Amino acid sequence: MKVIGVHMDRCTGCKTCELYCGAERGSEKKTLLAAVQETPPPQPRVRVEGGLDGAFPLQCRHCLQAPCIDACLTGALRRDEKSGMVIIREDLCIGCWTCTAFCPYGVIYPSPKRKIALKCDRCLYMEKPVCVDVCPTKALEVVELEGIEDLLRERRLQTLNVMLANGGEGIRLLDFERSE
Amino acid sequence: MTCMIVGGGVAGFQAAATCRALRLEQAVTLIDAENEVGYYRTLLPQFMVGALPEEKLFFRSGDADPLLTMRRGVRVRSLDRSACTLTLDNGEVLTYDRLILAHGGEPFLPGILAGPPCRGIFPVRDLTTARETKSWLADHRKVIVFGGSLVGVKTAVHLSQAGFEVSLVVRRGHILLRALSEDSAAVVEAHLRNLGIEVCVNAAMEDLRIRDGQIDALKAGGRWLSCSTLLVAAGISPDTSFLEGTDLLTDGELVVSPALQTIDPRIFAAGDVAVIASGGEKISPNTWPQAVSQGRLAAENLYRSSPLPHRDWSRINAMELHGLAMVVLGPPLVGAEVISHARPETSVRRELFLVDGKPVGGALIGDISAAGTLHALINAGRPLTLRDAGLLRPQTGNVIRFPEQTGRRKALILSPKRSSL
Repeated sequence: MKVIGVHMDRCTGCKTCELYCGAERGSEKKTLLAAVQETPPPQPRVRVEGGLDGAFPLQCRHCLQAPCIDACLTGALRRDEKSGMVIIREDLCIGCWTCTAFCPYGVIYPSPKRKIALKCDRCLYMEKPVCVDVCPTKALEVVELEGIEDLLRERRLQTLNVMLANGGEGIRLLDFERSE
Repeated sequence: MTCMIVGGGVAGFQAAATCRALRLEQAVTLIDAENEVGYYRTLLPQFMVGALPEEKLFFRSGDADPLLTMRRGVRVRSLDRSACTLTLDNGEVLTYDRLILAHGGEPFLPGILAGPPCRGIFPVRDLTTARETKSWLADHRKVIVFGGSLVGVKTAVHLSQAGFEVSLVVRRGHILLRALSEDSAAVVEAHLRNLGIEVCVNAAMEDLRIRDGQIDALKAGGRWLSCSTLLVAAGISPDTSFLEGTDLLTDGELVVSPALQTIDPRIFAAGDVAVIASGGEKISPNTWPQAVSQGRLAAENLYRSSPLPHRDWSRINAMELHGLAMVVLGPPLVGAEVISHARPETSVRRELFLVDGKPVGGALIGDISAAGTLHALINAGRPLTLRDAGLLRPQTGNVIRFPEQTGRRKALILSPKRSSL
């Protein structure tokens, strides 16, 4: 399954992803200029968290055991069998907000004006998620989850070995790897 | 051998679906007293006032499953544990290999309503009654909703929005007694009054006035309130009648372990009928999400040599009361410390209840941002930090770190921020 990964070292917290997500997925006219004039105001499905010391965009994680699906009172939230993603059928959503209380990442957003809950579907029917497309620093990347952990571990190990060979310089940056 | 499930509510339905998904060769029989099974009970208030068509009440049905048998419109008369059989009210005897009891309860009706039949009085519980209520409401616009539960409040709001003249009558000192603190309930009550709903608290049902065989007025809290319809949403009483004499009951309650197992290892229970004994306490969360997760767990545990305990007993509930969103994170506790962010002028109150510095419940009224994060914080069971407490601010979007749970998928950090390590 493909998910959106974040290069935190590249994210500047500029919120461009939020702006374009709101315009593309939440507005009728699909342009920034028109979107800000629409009522109700378009809402993004991605949120930039944190500050200068560690900003990163956060959107639905499409959990394997998604608590929001279990909590949904009308069956509006369901898993798309083909992509494995958690999607919402807006025509079934009654805006009861139960799902928002069950998402541990806080990435299902109530839209009181439209009386539906909003969440990221990774722009399922588009070639590429809009947030990934517009990120000016390429901090967002769509990656295939299968094998990603092995790949990351291998890369971290390589870095660790380089650092060890250089007198341990910079090794404090790899606390996570050492604790593993 | 067949797995038998008693009850076609959401807990029973979820249990049946899980059984079929886990054990493809095993037949499942679901027995329910109603003629329809598999509908969203929580949507009945919208349906009754005509805001939702009936077809939208039902669960999505997939292809017919030959190994899933639905027995509708029959009640279980008795259970014989030694023979592993259930006897139905039509005399039929069914044998089970494993049994899940998920038959819920009957609506609680105050004793005063036990008199001769009177038209215009309906409990808010099942689809058959909801259909009758809907048809009755077409010609009767003055409604009293008795009961300050979530169902009662929701019903009153939907009726009011559909143009009915509505009074909400509550026995105790404030609405949503089991879910909200007095201060939070006051915010909701003020909102209901703004919607034009008359809210009467401390008003036990005292008398009825019946004219031409239909209700004309209700006396509650010393006052006569005229009405043409009385809807009762005063909670439910678990139905344990057919379990008498089976030794499954403790003081009249079907008490189960945290793994939802009864004293009989072949019998599990889920949903409103189950009372969970956990850590010296008895818990009956009685919420929709709990019914779903309990139904699933009961089915998963049926054949485990060591059944796994449920890990989340929280009583989360959420509602949109026509312009006022609210999330209940857990009921108020006597003696608990309360921290809150209150802006009564904008109908916002966000509060957490702490015991030994750890959050154990709370409520978000008017602004429900970070509801999921606060729920996860309660589940984490760790003492509240200053940063965590910042989540109570309105429109908050902070994230905090939690131990990962099975099945959740954390943010995928491809490369970390150097200065943050």
